[in-house]
Amino acid sequence: MAAQTTYPAGGEPFAPADEPPVVRARGLVKHYGEIVAVDNVDLAVPAGAVYGLLGPNGAGKTTFMRMLFGLIRPDEGSIELFGRRELAGRVEALEEVAGFVETPRFYPYLSARANLEVLAKLDRRDGAAERIPELLEQVDLSERARSKVREYSYGMVQRLGVAAALMRSPRLLVLDEPTNGLDPAGIRDMRRLIARLASTGITILLSSHNMLEVEETCEHVAIMRRGRIAFDGPMAELRARAEDVEYRLVTNDDARAAGVCRATDGIANVRTDRDGIRFDSRTEPVERLTAELGRMGVGMRQLELPVTALETLFFRLTENDGHSAEDAR
Amino acid sequence: MSSFASVYGVECRKLLAQTRVRALMVFLLVVPWLYIGLILHQDRLPLETLYGRYLKDTGYATPLAILVYASQWVLPLIAALLAGDVFSSEDQQGTLKTILTRSVGRTAVFWGKLAAVFTFTTIAVVVVAASATVAGIITVGNDPLVDVGGVLRPASTALGLVAASWATVLLPTLAFGAIAMMVSILTRSSVLGVIVPVVLGLVMQLYTFLNAWDTVRHVLLGYTMSAWRGILDSPTYYAPLARGLLVAAVYLVIATSIGFVVFRRRDVAGG
Repeated sequence: MAAQTTYPAGGEPFAPADEPPVVRARGLVKHYGEIVAVDNVDLAVPAGAVYGLLGPNGAGKTTFMRMLFGLIRPDEGSIELFGRRELAGRVEALEEVAGFVETPRFYPYLSARANLEVLAKLDRRDGAAERIPELLEQVDLSERARSKVREYSYGMVQRLGVAAALMRSPRLLVLDEPTNGLDPAGIRDMRRLIARLASTGITILLSSHNMLEVEETCEHVAIMRRGRIAFDGPMAELRARAEDVEYRLVTNDDARAAGVCRATDGIANVRTDRDGIRFDSRTEPVERLTAELGRMGVGMRQLELPVTALETLFFRLTENDGHSAEDAR
Repeated sequence: MSSFASVYGVECRKLLAQTRVRALMVFLLVVPWLYIGLILHQDRLPLETLYGRYLKDTGYATPLAILVYASQWVLPLIAALLAGDVFSSEDQQGTLKTILTRSVGRTAVFWGKLAAVFTFTTIAVVVVAASATVAGIITVGNDPLVDVGGVLRPASTALGLVAASWATVLLPTLAFGAIAMMVSILTRSSVLGVIVPVVLGLVMQLYTFLNAWDTVRHVLLGYTMSAWRGILDSPTYYAPLARGLLVAAVYLVIATSIGFVVFRRRDVAGG
């Protein structure tokens, strides 16, 4: 019997319904002294998804990923990988997982090739070592394969980290801030690589503090704030919530224009500063506002969105103390 | 191949690739030749050192005189240099997370590293012992050896005595290596991993020189390090050696156990 396929709202199909989540975290808690780095996190990453873990620095993303790899032990809760309980120090659950947490690290006194050979030996998988030239080619490091890693730039180390992860032919690829430190061309190449890998059907768990990056790459997103999950759902659902956007308006008479803004239904949180007027609104009230300003003879010099709709929502979810994690669900 | 064998092979390759380790091996190979070369080019002999007065009489005095220096601070230093940063360097380079996210568990990583470090420590001890013996025989001669009891031992027996004497310091040297590794795991500091065992070795040696409380002296690694003298005496006695080797084994087991338990349980949060 064919497996039933689920469809996230507005997204592509990513997993048969009877397939367990690739990652399932239940009640995960991790303290560092007085600081709660991860606070009661429940998370499920569907098979085949490109799943973004988004949050500002210090939100708990990396701590979560370290627990996923068994590098640190949760104080409470558990993580299952492919339906198997992950235990620190046990490798069985990690057999089909690869990736890196924070910056990938290698032995500086060995060449890129030698580093991959060493890791292939630790992996003990047939044919892994033979794939090294192909993997180095894939991340555009073939010409520097024999250079010592200590001579590598940050971006090259990042790409070598991806090659090292792919050598394991994983079903789950975990990438922590994969575009960190890359130049614009490197960022573009990394995104293309992730898209290409995603098209092969592997599950990708990607952490980032950059909403645009996650928006471009992921079909499912969890937003972390101060160790807690502030939002968890399909990207389409997040987009649907992100209609109320912050605008910036500059006119030839900001005082009158601000008054018009306040009098327009659907426009809220109007405030003025030296850079003009800022307000929150959806698209339709802005259309009415611009028509009214024209009718009143107020000249508009600039109307812009300083941040995108999703970024606005992201900042609200991660910075505004008034929105609790529960509110955002 | 088991995960232990994989880690062992990788660790040996990494140690071989390090300039520091290669330089240490070359140093150990060359120093005995420099030592006996300098002795032969001067009139005075190091009379205060055991076998120092025989350095120009028999080649077998060279490895034994060097063993006296080595057992005081060189062997703890060799062990510390090889073992003192085997874990902490992974912490500092951030590579511990790299290997722990592959197909090897912490148990295999620990024992593979330990085995590799002990292999290289053993090779280092063999290199310095063999180099000193060959240097002595070639530069001075394959002559009989006067033992500590004043009895002349033929050259054929002397070689065996030299080998046995060096063999007895291997276990305490490995115990110093285990201590270095434990410190390296506990402190995550390569500097402390190297310094602590060396200082500990010197303190133990100092205490051994004192005519202090024997019960304490007998449970120090410095005591084991000098227990080889019983093999060279006439009549030969083995009791201090047997007790010393037991003491060294206890140090090794305790330091290794502490290192293992801490390494298994600790968070890898850096890098």
